[in-house]
Amino acid sequence: MPEPNRPGERSAARTAARRQADHLGLARLSDTLVPALVAKLNASGLGEIEVREDDWRIRLRRPSGAPTGARRADRPRLASHGPTAAPATARASAKAPAEAPARLEQAPAGAEPAASPAASPALSPAVGVFRPVSAVGARVRAGDRVAVVDLLGIPQDVVSPIDGTVAEVLVQAGDPVEYGEEVLLVEADAEEPAGEPAGEPAGELAGEPATGDAADGEA
Amino acid sequence: MVSRILIANRGEIALRVLRACRTLGIEAVVAYSEADRASLPAMLADEAICIGPADARRSYLSAPAVISAALVTGCDAIHPGYGFLSEDDAFAEVVRAHGLTFIGPPADVLERFASKEETRRLLAAHGLPTIPGSGLLLDEAQALEEAERVGYPVLVKPSAGGGGKGMRMVRSPRELAAVLPICRSEAKAAFGDDSLYLERWLEDNRHVEVQVAVDRFGHGVHLWERDCSVQRRHQKILEESPSPAMTPAGRRELAERAIKAVVEAGYENVGTLEFLVDNNGNAYFIEINCRIQVEHPITEMLTGIDLVATQIRIASGEPLGFNQADVPQRGHAIEFRINAEDPAHDFRPGAGTIERLNTPGGPGVRFDSHAYTGYEVPPYYDSLLGKLIVWGPTREAAIARGRAALSELVIEGIVTNVAIHRALLSSEPFLEGKFTTNLLDRVGSAAFLAAAERAG
Repeated sequence: MPEPNRPGERSAARTAARRQADHLGLARLSDTLVPALVAKLNASGLGEIEVREDDWRIRLRRPSGAPTGARRADRPRLASHGPTAAPATARASAKAPAEAPARLEQAPAGAEPAASPAASPALSPAVGVFRPVSAVGARVRAGDRVAVVDLLGIPQDVVSPIDGTVAEVLVQAGDPVEYGEEVLLVEADAEEPAGEPAGEPAGELAGEPATGDAADGEA
Repeated sequence: MVSRILIANRGEIALRVLRACRTLGIEAVVAYSEADRASLPAMLADEAICIGPADARRSYLSAPAVISAALVTGCDAIHPGYGFLSEDDAFAEVVRAHGLTFIGPPADVLERFASKEETRRLLAAHGLPTIPGSGLLLDEAQALEEAERVGYPVLVKPSAGGGGKGMRMVRSPRELAAVLPICRSEAKAAFGDDSLYLERWLEDNRHVEVQVAVDRFGHGVHLWERDCSVQRRHQKILEESPSPAMTPAGRRELAERAIKAVVEAGYENVGTLEFLVDNNGNAYFIEINCRIQVEHPITEMLTGIDLVATQIRIASGEPLGFNQADVPQRGHAIEFRINAEDPAHDFRPGAGTIERLNTPGGPGVRFDSHAYTGYEVPPYYDSLLGKLIVWGPTREAAIARGRAALSELVIEGIVTNVAIHRALLSSEPFLEGKFTTNLLDRVGSAAFLAAAERAG
């Protein structure tokens, strides 16, 4: 902290004034500075931007590299009992309060999406709130933004892994998603586009739990 | 009281916090990185959510990812564990600004104690003895001047962070000039802050720390001391309590001075004051850790007080609920840090799959670990696999239980440091309670192991 070194003199009044300034700083940060920085980061092609001002420092990092991709239910579970506390009170945004009990292997995934084997999943780049951009049937190209995930109000792009058509949106608008979650399926074009074999990523759909080395750099 | 906590950490401490939540009737959501999908805390939690890739900078160290995870899973509090974001005052402030409770000291308290160099002066003003040292180092010329004033040998220390990173002991101006840039870049990389200061180096010192707990209303107690003198390159390997180096009167005086100073200085929540003790029994304050510590279980064994639950209750705004007279120091406890590293090869960290795990048990034995048979130890994080904690009515009884427990502990498939613990329990300096922080480095761990093997 760039403070003058006055040990023992850090008075309560100073702290109160400082906290007030911090609150104002925070408000300004989330309202104006952050969106501007996000725009700049996206435009610049940089991986990271850091800005310092007074005692504040903000660092934005672009999600890079591909998440390995998984459905929420792919995670192994061990808990043989539910929460010890009262289960799921009125918690508006809490995801899946009724998770299946007692399962070492895979919990039931709910309705499996009825997508064709040529469909590729687009993965969430962050933990946050899901908002679709492209509707089912929309034509998209690889790298197009097909949805966003709000990370504390900052939209993070979900991009299409391939050229094709949006086949299914797997998550409801406004629902929470985790990092790497499959949120949307894109069906490859029927005709063979030059260079990119469309059938290739089909195997990804099996829902193989992430094992670290499965990153395929698609997104 | 908070009702649903996001645990923003991994490994054994995530599991420890989960257990505290269960006993308090609080729901626990574990935030995990892609590398920890199949970890025990993630599997046991009421809910688990993936917050980012294996790279900690984009998962466990990402304030936006952690806070977003807490919000979308309906949590009202975040427990940061140790390391990662646990002592980051800016993070604590942003957590609070999002209407969430940070389980730890409030942001302004973290900020007040963020600089080691300033904290030293603050607590010296409240009556704690400190080691002669310098202010922040500006450049090489000034550093050399300060070192002359403090007196060689000196320890170069980063003002932020801990864990031995960026720390070097030097005996001459030439050595000092050589390590300054190294320490700066290490400190910058580890803590994002390259400020350094000097402390006089005490040969043959012991590391003794005092656990404290202070509530929001300024009511505080100490929970006695821990002796962490068994170290390797400033990394603790084994901790015990009470300290075999201190007299009953000496440890009481140190603990009482520590709690008085931090209450006066406005500390809040659980914390640890670290001291160096020289061979005349003089204690010098070096730093405060504003978090739960790895070695907290030995204090729990002696006092019967759940420190993580205490931390959660204090952060929730509750009064401490007990007094100094309610904090006994009963018997003796030892903690062995079980790390995935090879003591025969300079503690080289290892990764791989645990093919077989047998954990020790019996009276006075506690094993805190996220390991299980089939667990794949990821290569991305620190090597702590778990902690074996033993308790006995006397130090001798605790050592005997430690030997028995270590002989039951089986970990196959990966290399661990268990051999160093067996060697410690048959080494003269340890058995006589005379271990010093530099002993293992001076002897060399390979030589130490070989000597223990000969002694059989």
